[in-house]
Amino acid sequence: MQKKINKFIWLLIPILLLMIGILVGLTKQHSNIFEQNFFYMDTYIYVKLDEQDENKAKKALEKIDSIYQDYHILADRYQEYEGIHNIYTIHNNQETDDTLPLDPRLYDMIQYGKDWYIKSNGKIDISMGNVLDVWKRFRTNQSGIPTLEELQVSNTSSIDDIILLDNYKIQNNHVNIDLGAIAKGYATEMVGQYLESIGIKNYLINAGGNVKIGIPREKEKFSVGIEDPNSKTGDVFKVVYGKNISIVTSGGYERYYEFEGKKYHHIIDPDTLMPSSHLKSVTVIAEDSRLGDVLSTTLFLLPLDQGQMLVNQLGVEAIWYTADNLIVTSKGFDAYEQK
Amino acid sequence: MNKSDQKLAIIISFICIVFILIFHFNKNEQEKVALVYYKNELVKTIPLLEESQEYQVLGKNGIVTLESKQGKIRVKQENSPLHICSRQGFIQNSTEIIVCLPNQIVIKIKEKDNIDTIVR
Repeated sequence: MQKKINKFIWLLIPILLLMIGILVGLTKQHSNIFEQNFFYMDTYIYVKLDEQDENKAKKALEKIDSIYQDYHILADRYQEYEGIHNIYTIHNNQETDDTLPLDPRLYDMIQYGKDWYIKSNGKIDISMGNVLDVWKRFRTNQSGIPTLEELQVSNTSSIDDIILLDNYKIQNNHVNIDLGAIAKGYATEMVGQYLESIGIKNYLINAGGNVKIGIPREKEKFSVGIEDPNSKTGDVFKVVYGKNISIVTSGGYERYYEFEGKKYHHIIDPDTLMPSSHLKSVTVIAEDSRLGDVLSTTLFLLPLDQGQMLVNQLGVEAIWYTADNLIVTSKGFDAYEQK
Repeated sequence: MNKSDQKLAIIISFICIVFILIFHFNKNEQEKVALVYYKNELVKTIPLLEESQEYQVLGKNGIVTLESKQGKIRVKQENSPLHICSRQGFIQNSTEIIVCLPNQIVIKIKEKDNIDTIVR
């Protein structure tokens, strides 16, 4: 009898352990992370999906690649592509027609930009491509600054020269349009909407200052660090926590050049034609990445008090880092400081 | 049930326990490393140690030379119009990143950290 029990136990132990092992292996939901890097719109774009279905995730990443590529092509100011009008060919074309047919996505982006000319009190002016080209030339050469006269002479178009017509057409006015404050946020929003439409909720996108997040799998909220514009080692001055939200930063500390001890960055004020100087960075938290992108540029160019008014009106949140190193937050910002 | 059966049972039990432990603790603690990507591919994982070490990876415009020392890493030499990434110098925190757009090389630092992403 004793021997029988003994035998039974000796057999039971490994069987039990084996079953526990299998159970542990099965119940532990493997977080299936798929990451991809993209290089579009002069930007490093990072996408992370947490998705059980490998095929679905891989297909989604392919589609995301094509979404970003499409927006890259449409907003490209320096190159033409066969069979499609983009920002470059709106500016440079030999068409005899007085209208050009546009891809609906480009039409919508231009409309979005035009709408924001009014909402931003003229600070978002997508008709200033010529002025930006002058600045870009100096930035590339890393020396000197353009004279005010040179900038004014280049500033030949106005927002009213960009005329959108019915049936996705634009008046062929050869305007040098720039969608720098719009295209990245626009494309990122479209990627987020696509992911939600196919049921992928666990995602994180970081497209050069444009972060868009879904829901993390194993915790309540994602954490997003906002870089300290004064730090040379990439330190973070604030961490915000959220889900299903966009966090967008505009700053003059990433892309700039120095001349005679002064820094000249790439965000140009339409009123002065010079880089704006009263902020070091500003970060917007908004549901829609399009709004986040265009608003962060607007706030970077507006005086603080006007920016605060606009943020209140729109019901979003923002954090300003001023030129004199003051950190100012909007009314409801602290909701995003809770883990 | 004889002695050798018992031994076999013990061995099987032991193997099972090992597997359970592996499943349970598969998030192994990592040392600080730099991850080097070319386009979409992780091309090198560099442990960030004290002594100086040089590495070479292939970028879009040719060879990119990296140097690591004192737990930091930098791009020492590359071929690009503005040399933005070699001018950047050393990085050492997981919040920092080196992006060589012309070469499509990205260098990130991975260490235990609880921030998911950085907006800049």
